[in-house]
Amino acid sequence: MQATQIIHAYKQAPWRVQRQWVGAFLLFVIGAAMIAALYLDVTARAAVAGREIQELRFEITAIQRTNADLETRLARLTSTAEMQSRAVALGYRPVTPGELDYVPVPGFAAPEPAILLDAEDVTLQQSAFPAEYSQSLLEWFEERIKFGGTQ
Amino acid sequence: MRQQYALRSMILVVFLAIAGFAVIIQIIRIQYSDQAQIFLLQGDRYSGEFQMMYPERGEIYDRNGHLLAGNRTVYEVGVSLREVKDAQALAFTLGNYLGLSYEEVYDQLVNSPATWEYVVVQDYVGAETVTSLQGLVKQMNDAGDRRLSGLAFKPHFQRSYPENELASNVLGFVTRDGRGYFGIEEKYNDLLAGNPVQVWVPSDPNKAMEIPRVPNGTTLVLTINRDLQAKVESILDKSLVEYGAENGTIIVMDPHNGEILAMASTPRMDLNNYSNYFSLYDNGSQYNRSVGMAYEPGSVFKVLTMAAALDTGTVRPETTFVDTGAIEVGGITIRNWNRDAWGQQNMVGCLQHSLNVCLAWLSSQMGMQNFYGYMERFGLGHPTGIDLSGEATGRLKVPGDTDWYPVDLGTNSFGQGITVTPMQMLMSVSAVANGGRMVTPHVLYSMLRDGHQYNVPSQYAGSPITAETARTLTEMLSASLEEESSQALLPGYRLAGKTGTAQIPTEYGYDATHTNVSFIGWGPVDDPGFMVYVWLSKPSTSIWSSETAAPVFSEVAEQTVILLNIPPDLVRSQAVNK
Repeated sequence: MQATQIIHAYKQAPWRVQRQWVGAFLLFVIGAAMIAALYLDVTARAAVAGREIQELRFEITAIQRTNADLETRLARLTSTAEMQSRAVALGYRPVTPGELDYVPVPGFAAPEPAILLDAEDVTLQQSAFPAEYSQSLLEWFEERIKFGGTQ
Repeated sequence: MRQQYALRSMILVVFLAIAGFAVIIQIIRIQYSDQAQIFLLQGDRYSGEFQMMYPERGEIYDRNGHLLAGNRTVYEVGVSLREVKDAQALAFTLGNYLGLSYEEVYDQLVNSPATWEYVVVQDYVGAETVTSLQGLVKQMNDAGDRRLSGLAFKPHFQRSYPENELASNVLGFVTRDGRGYFGIEEKYNDLLAGNPVQVWVPSDPNKAMEIPRVPNGTTLVLTINRDLQAKVESILDKSLVEYGAENGTIIVMDPHNGEILAMASTPRMDLNNYSNYFSLYDNGSQYNRSVGMAYEPGSVFKVLTMAAALDTGTVRPETTFVDTGAIEVGGITIRNWNRDAWGQQNMVGCLQHSLNVCLAWLSSQMGMQNFYGYMERFGLGHPTGIDLSGEATGRLKVPGDTDWYPVDLGTNSFGQGITVTPMQMLMSVSAVANGGRMVTPHVLYSMLRDGHQYNVPSQYAGSPITAETARTLTEMLSASLEEESSQALLPGYRLAGKTGTAQIPTEYGYDATHTNVSFIGWGPVDDPGFMVYVWLSKPSTSIWSSETAAPVFSEVAEQTVILLNIPPDLVRSQAVNK
């Protein structure tokens, strides 16, 4: 009799149990919705970033083309024939050996052919984007499982 | 009432459960159905496309960084057939802008096979044309007029040569299929072209990172000096007119390291219009005569014979020879160029008067083994190894060959009965100009790749003669030029050199009226900064080298010392004394 009373004392009312179930369900739904929203947000942002990367890549290609065009155009404008005709138009004429004066400069070394290291080929460099920007959470997990913490 | 709701709820639950279950079953069924592969393939088809990524072809610069070969953007103009709204308007517009006939374009748009989604109307369209076409399309689109829908412009690179004809014989050209022909473009085609990569380009923007970057082709820097090249070409063109020669070649090389500073040859072609090739050249060997065409060089060859004779100790500069005007070698009588007897001569005189009899005597004195041994060591009969395509090897007949006769020992000594390319002569004689060390001629100065510059080291092809022989012979050649007051001389500079007038062999013996005239020379003799080889074919104003090739050499030397900043001997000696 004593024991029955104690159990009864702690037994909740049915409506309370129902409310707890509903609460738990709602909590689950809200959690799932939050995760879904987060996932959607991340995915959408990744998609936008990916598209931007694509567009930037097209832009880089277009700029490289423009550079090549401009370089060739500049070379045309400064070609030997062009420069000669411009020099003649400005009243210049080719020099003869007798008109040259040489000044001895101690320690002077004739210039070596131009070093063109500034013509660096950026396309040969490694991708500037770290893997974290492109891999999914699952891929990251997979990588961790495969390589441990070394990667 | 409560039970009624419970029943309805139960029915709804069961219905939804069945519907959900059916959806899941259907998904699984589709996954494992026979059509699953087709659906997957369809999905894959629209998930991206394979694209062949062609790298930008490497550029070519001269030694001072002037662009000789670059790239420019051209367009493939095409039409997406599904998007066409007005084929007539498209055909009319494209016909006008691209210079095509209306019927031709209209036929392409309307009568293409049903499976085609895209047709190329014209490729390699210039940027100006495309810009104006794009402007028209935009203008019409802005006005809501979609009659030009479907037009597509795909940009790609085309080889461009800003200097047009300059150094065309050295550079070669690239055809529309991207392959290099002749010269540097052919020799280094693989390096310049880079490696095309076929890549899968996904439509999924999340996978945009997977598109690989295609490295550009290797950029090359040549040893050519653009300004000197232009001068040399100009001198060559003028000389052909002045002396009535058919064709010609001039090469300027640094004898210390084999760097080719200028290499002119005729005819030249505008590299931007390579379709002219077939109207200018009968065969590939004519494209660059400096390396592709072997000929009997005549008396310039006497430099090598004398070098061998001095090096073997057969003679010394002061050794005398009594020239009777004829000598018999192998049962055949050999005579001088003017058929005269020149009496007693020392070896400088033999070179100065270019006496065939004297040189034939020298080769006979040396003997076959010595003479041909030296010619082998000078690299004759073998390619020089210059980094240009289409190099000819020439022909050095040696004892034992079926077409070698004893008289060849005599005639070969003065450059007849033997064929060489101008480049071979330059390489062989570089041993004399470079203290006994023979250089390997080359055109590539360096390569640019991965952001690094790789300089090409100079190579030496052996030392066929001693430094002492080289010095002695240089003095002899310099003295012989000065004593005859040669037209090859350049005031203020001591130069060494040798003329060469050669008869031209034909199917019926030697041509009685025409000659090949050549000159090989270098300077300043105390520290040679340049070597020049001149070859004019069949000059009509004079058949003699001393009156044609020699003055051309002098003119080239004059421009070379100016453009390479080589001061006169006096100035240099004063600078050294200080």
